[in-house]
Amino acid sequence: MINTSKYIIILLLFLILQVIWFNHMQLFGTYTPMVFIYPLLILPIQKNESSYLVLAFLFGISIDLISNTGGLFAATALFVVYTRKIYFLISKNKSQDFENISIQNLNLLQKSIYYFTFILISQILLYLLESFNISLVLSKIGFILVNSFISLFFFIFIDLLFFNPLKK
Amino acid sequence: MSKLLRFLAGKQSLLIFVFLELISLVLIINTHNYAQLKTHDFQTGLAGNINQRLNTINRYFYLQNYNDSLLHQNTRLLNKLNQPQNKLDKNGALAYQFSFIPAYAISNQYNLDHNTILINKGSQDSIRPESGVISTHGIVGVIQKTSAHFAKVISILNKSSKINVALIHTNYTGFLQWRHQNPNQFEITDMPTNARIKIGDTIITSGMSSIFPKGIPIGTITGFKTLAGRKSYVIKLKSFMDYTNIGPVYVIKNNLKTEIDSLNMQP
Repeated sequence: MINTSKYIIILLLFLILQVIWFNHMQLFGTYTPMVFIYPLLILPIQKNESSYLVLAFLFGISIDLISNTGGLFAATALFVVYTRKIYFLISKNKSQDFENISIQNLNLLQKSIYYFTFILISQILLYLLESFNISLVLSKIGFILVNSFISLFFFIFIDLLFFNPLKK
Repeated sequence: MSKLLRFLAGKQSLLIFVFLELISLVLIINTHNYAQLKTHDFQTGLAGNINQRLNTINRYFYLQNYNDSLLHQNTRLLNKLNQPQNKLDKNGALAYQFSFIPAYAISNQYNLDHNTILINKGSQDSIRPESGVISTHGIVGVIQKTSAHFAKVISILNKSSKINVALIHTNYTGFLQWRHQNPNQFEITDMPTNARIKIGDTIITSGMSSIFPKGIPIGTITGFKTLAGRKSYVIKLKSFMDYTNIGPVYVIKNNLKTEIDSLNMQP
């Protein structure tokens, strides 16, 4: 089980980081790292993720209310939490039990692939829901890829900084 | 019935996911509905209140910048006072066509495709939708909707914004659009090739719409090209204004808007 109070502090920290700092960051004039999904990705895997979904929604909607973006971050956060399970269903070994997968036990490469997949998904979804225009999103896929790599860099950095923040 | 309940219990996560995702989508669609003319918008009000508080802290860090820009503005106004007014201004209605309402930008987006800005004045301060918003260094956007104390501005950094602009000292006009991810790079289309332009020329508002008065400087030309078979330029523009740091703004009130609109409505 995760330490709830510690986790809520992490959530609040990332909410503030994304809204106050990262949303206003313009790396190389254009790039805005998206770190808000980090706390959602480090949640342990469970069979019943209903409580996580509600949490993700509340977390996303808080960012939306402050940034005045409707339900953009809420929809993205929800999608990330829901599809995380599918990712592990595909990537786990046949012999491995679903609930024994621990994100913190993954090696750096596995973790980077895991983070990158969801950063990319969240970025595409964010821009898609924002513009409702697939061709516009496709036209900026290069930008999204670079932005995702920059975000991944921050994820790895945060990971090294607070290694295993949810350890028992 | 019990089978159905058992089935639904098994799909609890999916049901919650779909339900919450639908709520989010409805919220997104509501925010994106540009045609919506709801005056009292709960979310605008709430986001306004939160951002107002965050902004109070932020403002201290930019005090020097704001002071500089206000000084700049005052100098320009003083210069204008000393200039002789032209005949039209003296005799016609143009003398009082535009008035300005000062406000502060309290939240500013610039990393999405359809960015918006919140300002701390609303319908109680007689701000109406479709009014222009400018700053000391250029144009900021157009009011989309208002609540009692706040207003939402469609930023010029919005892929659906299209603003009529002109080459300084001429009447050649074109459309200013934001097509890049960089918040200071813009593109001007439909500027006729008859216009003699060069890199470094200033672009101003054309005054062709009832939203912005003529002559507000926007930026300088950094490059241009003509597309094959077209008789117009595609111009690259660098704005004077830093759109990542918007502080004090002025909402333009067009006192003759109803008159102009009613004239336009007539067949």
